[in-house]
Amino acid sequence: MEFAKKIVETTEEIFSTMIFMDVSPEPALEEGKQVLDCHVSAMIGLTGSISAMLSIHCPEATGLAIAGGMLGMELEEIDADVKDALGEIANMMAGGLKERFSTEDIDLELAIPTTVTGKSYTISAPKDSRRVVIPFSIEQGQFFVEIKYNLM
Amino acid sequence: MEHAQYIIDSTQEIFSSMIMLEVTPGQPYERAHEPLRNSISGIIGLAGSTKGLLAIHLPNSAALAVTTAFLGMEVEEIDDDVRDAIGELANMVAGNLKSALDPSGSDIKLSMPSAVHGEEYSIDCLANSQTVTVPFSFNGDNFLVELQFRQD
Repeated sequence: MEFAKKIVETTEEIFSTMIFMDVSPEPALEEGKQVLDCHVSAMIGLTGSISAMLSIHCPEATGLAIAGGMLGMELEEIDADVKDALGEIANMMAGGLKERFSTEDIDLELAIPTTVTGKSYTISAPKDSRRVVIPFSIEQGQFFVEIKYNLM
Repeated sequence: MEHAQYIIDSTQEIFSSMIMLEVTPGQPYERAHEPLRNSISGIIGLAGSTKGLLAIHLPNSAALAVTTAFLGMEVEEIDDDVRDAIGELANMVAGNLKSALDPSGSDIKLSMPSAVHGEEYSIDCLANSQTVTVPFSFNGDNFLVELQFRQD
């Protein structure tokens, strides 16, 4: 299914065409390793032939830079604009993944994007699910794209 | 509103049949977006003819009491067992709610559940969704069940 490859391709495509930002993928994190120190996460559920959750996790500086790049404005705090922009990016990335999976006859439907923000939080998936996390770097720092999934 | 009644019916049914706890619903309301503190939330996405997110927000003490009753073993801190149990609780309530919203069983699909835990965090659903929140109480503890949704 090549989740990692699909995530990298989709992320690069969305960032270059919609946000006009270059991103550099890094090697996937090991299974089970925690993503730390993020202040805003956008997530969206995908269901169909697989059941999955796609998330983008950003520390404050990268979250502001990405949302600012998408909206074409300078942003200073994680407010409703930042949440909306990152939720929309998660939505577009899920759309990109859906398209890539559909070429393999794997049909997926998207839920609504949701954001989690806060000073300290963890997001966990069911114990039996699988997980791929790819860090990406931009000038302002790193962010993480994660997919958690179960084959059905 | 009918969604509030669906939430009440589904939550009471799951708690009494799966967790062996009787929970009492309070007045449904629309929650202001204040952050959740020292809590754990089980969340799950809905896709299809109703898109959205079902969330169960439990203060840590309520989460420990629910998990203890659910697993039939004493839990004292928010660990992987609690995170898994609360995600599974969201999954069960959403499954029950889905059968009320979608009697044919084919129009709505559920995504993978997640659990969000932290000292202070907010969970927001995007894109013009409506929100219904129902408070529940049991043995001196409280929790919220919240449905954010959009019908296409």
